[in-house]
Amino acid sequence: MQRKSKRKIVVFVALLVALSAFVGYGIWNKPHRDVRNATPVKVNAATLYKILSGKNSSDKSNFNNKVLSVSGTVKQVLENHLRQQVILLKTDIEEGAVNCTMEEKFENVKAGDSVLIKGICIGYNAGDLDLPGDVFLIRCYHAD
Amino acid sequence: MNIRNALLVLLIFSVKPTFLAAQVYFTKNGSVSFFSKTILENITATNNETISILNSQTGEIQFSLLNNGFHFPKAKMEEDFNEDYMESEKYPRSTFKGIISDINKIDFNNDGTWAVTVTGDLQIHGITKTISVPGKISIINGKINAAATFTVPIKDYNIKIPSIVSNKISEKITISVNCLYQKK
Repeated sequence: MQRKSKRKIVVFVALLVALSAFVGYGIWNKPHRDVRNATPVKVNAATLYKILSGKNSSDKSNFNNKVLSVSGTVKQVLENHLRQQVILLKTDIEEGAVNCTMEEKFENVKAGDSVLIKGICIGYNAGDLDLPGDVFLIRCYHAD
Repeated sequence: MNIRNALLVLLIFSVKPTFLAAQVYFTKNGSVSFFSKTILENITATNNETISILNSQTGEIQFSLLNNGFHFPKAKMEEDFNEDYMESEKYPRSTFKGIISDINKIDFNNDGTWAVTVTGDLQIHGITKTISVPGKISIINGKINAAATFTVPIKDYNIKIPSIVSNKISEKITISVNCLYQKK
């Protein structure tokens, strides 16, 4: 009886350890947020910029750290240090933009195009010296 | 006479000081990355949404980034970085404001590379420390590039690493900066 009980305990502990390892492995290797298939919050670039750059913080949580689908007009197409495409969308502020770092290249896009871009909004940031900031989106895709 | 002087003064102050504006350069997609090396693990993360402003006349240089813009290869690391280590909701930004001390030696009108020293205030996790680091300003095909690599002890910025993972994260983090500027 005692042997059987001991065996049961050993098997139980072994299963527990295996389960913990399995769960731990799953957590450690969990995937990044799925932007492409996420249901986005829809907003246009000018409105998004106005809300996130403004002093009133009550509406910001609707957009910060959320997957957004942003509609707007392309102001400029750039490349960053890693040769990733960066698309700037126009806002009501001349030197301010919705700044979208593309996960996949948006082919044939140029200034003046009306586009829909989906990505994670990390927020508004600005420097000093009278330069308006940008609203930043990362891991962006061309949305249909 | 008084009216003429008054008009002259008005004319002087109405002229936009474009020669001053021409000294300021900026980027909103500069790159800042950090690297932690231990026997058990190497960790690296990059932020490509760094704002930097450079005044070529005064040598003022500043950097500002949103901490939740750092991208890690592993999602769990990114989550722990934002929630536990940087507390990004409480301290959304990391910034640096300083001066390039030998700015006058740089000829911004011609291509070349200059070693410089940058001194200023680095703010991470709500703590500000004055640092002085070597850097490089390069003018390539008329475009200004600033680069620097330096190390930072994470405990100086009150960043607490749980003991369970402390052997996987270095006490000193290497920060690399690389920015290509455009004229304001």
